[in-house]
Amino acid sequence: MSAEPILKGEEVLKLIPQRPPVVMVDALYSVTVDSAETGLDIDPSCIFCRNGKLSEPGIVEHAAQSAAVFADYDSYVKGMPPRLGFIAELKNLEIALLPEAGKSLRTSLSLLGTAMGMSLMKVEVRCGDDAVAKGQMKIFIKE
Amino acid sequence: MEKAELIQKINAAMAEEFEVEESVFTPEADIKSTLELDSLSLVDLVALVESNFGIKINGTDIAKIRNFGALYDLIYEKTQSK
Repeated sequence: MSAEPILKGEEVLKLIPQRPPVVMVDALYSVTVDSAETGLDIDPSCIFCRNGKLSEPGIVEHAAQSAAVFADYDSYVKGMPPRLGFIAELKNLEIALLPEAGKSLRTSLSLLGTAMGMSLMKVEVRCGDDAVAKGQMKIFIKE
Repeated sequence: MEKAELIQKINAAMAEEFEVEESVFTPEADIKSTLELDSLSLVDLVALVESNFGIKINGTDIAKIRNFGALYDLIYEKTQSK
């Protein structure tokens, strides 16, 4: 696990089309051809927080935006604008806990396969030592 | 790995992933209708093959495959040239 992000804050916005208040990823810690690690400091004023905790839709949105950052990193390196990505399918998604606002998420993504613009990724979201969510996500990136 | 062993392994993996009886996997059977593959689920087959056999396959190549016999051939060739 990398300690320092290779991209954070405003720089991450170059990889996703979302803008505040729906930005749900704020750091990229590592990226390779078939894996990546992202992060998010959960802002208590985040629109996906309820009763001091990040809600299920917020966790899914964080996972989806993390997948988009991973999928679009190549475009970023080439200086191209972010492409639109769509969640095509969530598979075997398990949410173990709702993390508290103010804490930080670290998310690991592994690319399982790509075909016809569709990417299948394994996603694991953690908050410190605690598992938050895991599953598979199918993302379609519009060219 | 012998081709017969490889076919057995592919069939077992597909049966589990797509929840289809192994007996329907014959070399002549149409792959798309048997597995109910569409543009959304094609990537599941690619991921299954890559994770089980440690090979990289092109999504466009697999989209052109019509029957299981052609799929077995493609995977066998890729595993032999690893």
